[in-house]
Amino acid sequence: MSTCDDALHEVYSYLDQEVNWYRSFLIRRHLKGCPPCVQAYKFEQRLRIVVKERLHEEVPPEFMDRLRQAIQNGP
Amino acid sequence: MADQANFERDAMPLAPQLYGAAVRLTRNPADAEDLVQETFLKAYRAYATFEEGTNLKAWLYRILTNTFINNYRRDTRRPQETDLGELEDLYLFRRLARETSPTSSGSAEDQLLEGLVEEDIKQAIESLPENFRMVVLLADLEGFSYKEIADILDIPIGTVMSRLHRGRKALQVALWDFATKRGLVGEGDRPR
Repeated sequence: MSTCDDALHEVYSYLDQEVNWYRSFLIRRHLKGCPPCVQAYKFEQRLRIVVKERLHEEVPPEFMDRLRQAIQNGP
Repeated sequence: MADQANFERDAMPLAPQLYGAAVRLTRNPADAEDLVQETFLKAYRAYATFEEGTNLKAWLYRILTNTFINNYRRDTRRPQETDLGELEDLYLFRRLARETSPTSSGSAEDQLLEGLVEEDIKQAIESLPENFRMVVLLADLEGFSYKEIADILDIPIGTVMSRLHRGRKALQVALWDFATKRGLVGEGDRPR
């Protein structure tokens, strides 16, 4: 992993934990010496958390009751 | 083999999570309730075929997405896997960096990430073509691995990766539009 392009190319697979240990080691080594890439990785990571948190949907309690009923009544 | 008597204990706690995904898929709470109910009734009937100790959550999502594709999908657009391919990676990050001064890029990131409200993010996700939306939800909302998503949707891992890649790009473009409408980015941030 010598270039920023290589490191940035793998940002999503890295955050998805889908790179093997060796790639992961190379990425971490590159990030140690490269603040601009760290900034990009941190941004993507924060974005992912923000998206996940703000997609939260509260399930209506009445629906859970109906669902339980439907299963107990059987098909 | 799983015992039907344990279905309620094992599967019901996952219902709220599936409901969340169902709302984003159907874009409508009433359809989402129907979709989840249908999923759970199918799962209950088929529970004897579920192999205990394997991934129950993935099994339920497989039924949910199948039911959605067969009965609820309205979107007949079949996006080419190559659509959006020409957009740059890290779209939001790079766009933000270009349109703000280097010294303020950190605070511009905060402003963008803190300023996007739930409604923006929900609408941005819902604007994605269904094929892309499904993989983005399975990966980014539910945290499934590429392999699990491939099994859930019955598609090759390479297709999961390409849809995820393009879906996330499209999501970032949509988020940029919402951020622009809200005045979170753009003119005000340019160096005077």
